Amino acid sequence: MNKLFLLACAALIVGCDTPATYKDPNGRDLVVSLEKVNIQDFATAGSLMLQSMVSSPAFSKGAPVLQLGMITNDTANNFDTSLLLSKLTVPLVNAGRVTLLENDAVANAARAASGSSANVPKAEYVLKGKILEDRANAGSTRQNSYIFQLTLVEVKRSVAVWTEEKIVTKQGSKNSIGF
Amino acid sequence: MKKIIPLLAIGFLTGCTSIIQTGDRIERGLTPPDAVNYATTRPEGGFTPQITDNRFGNKIELLAARKSKTDGGYARVQWDLRNGSYIGQTANISFEWLGSDGSVTESQPNWITTPLEPGALTTVTATALKSTSVECRLRILSR
Repeated sequence: MNKLFLLACAALIVGCDTPATYKDPNGRDLVVSLEKVNIQDFATAGSLMLQSMVSSPAFSKGAPVLQLGMITNDTANNFDTSLLLSKLTVPLVNAGRVTLLENDAVANAARAASGSSANVPKAEYVLKGKILEDRANAGSTRQNSYIFQLTLVEVKRSVAVWTEEKIVTKQGSKNSIGF
Repeated sequence: MKKIIPLLAIGFLTGCTSIIQTGDRIERGLTPPDAVNYATTRPEGGFTPQITDNRFGNKIELLAARKSKTDGGYARVQWDLRNGSYIGQTANISFEWLGSDGSVTESQPNWITTPLEPGALTTVTATALKSTSVECRLRILSR
């Protein structure tokens, strides 16, 4: 009888698991993690940065030639920083608002070999940045802030023409789903 | 025994992160999730709200929509929102841009979460990336 009771309990517990389902990556039912940057955090920071950047004087006329610089990940998490950059470059390139230079070694070598006479666009602006984190806790409540910093540098004058910082702060005692 | 039960109840509530958060979770569990509401700018100025969730009006007020142009000639809309309630609310916002024929020209589909203190006013700026985008449709839900 005791064994049957234990088996019934085990079956009940297994039955409580949530089966995997597909979710809208832009929806409101996504996992919110305290210890890592979630995909919706990149989307939030990226879209806010994009709205700010397109209002800068660099985007007032034509399609400036943009090269992607170094984005330093200074957090304890391991992630690809293109998760942030793609939120800016994809809409800008598809709307024809920038000319984006390829940034791999082959493209750089080809540009260097072509010399100044070739019809190869030169970078007018370089986008660089940093992602930082700050942790704090009070009792069992933890708070993690992820700080996204981006700077647009005009190559000709080596001056920053736009810079922005967006902070995503999450607080709680455990991970959750949705908002 | 009669004294112990209230004491236990107080101890239980004190142990939670906050009583308000617990109440909020219970309310969210008992009520259906907030539906998405819309507001679209008009060519002649102002905006047309499309409120699909009647609870929205008790939480967040849409005050104004100001249309302008960037230096490059692209459309820009500033939306003014206010938490009209006596408790903190969170406005979740995304938007789409429409062409002059009403078709969707571009969108920013992800939700931007903006916590608002009671009575707090915030301005959300949407800037179009395409010259064909003329009207802005704000998507908003609160909780």
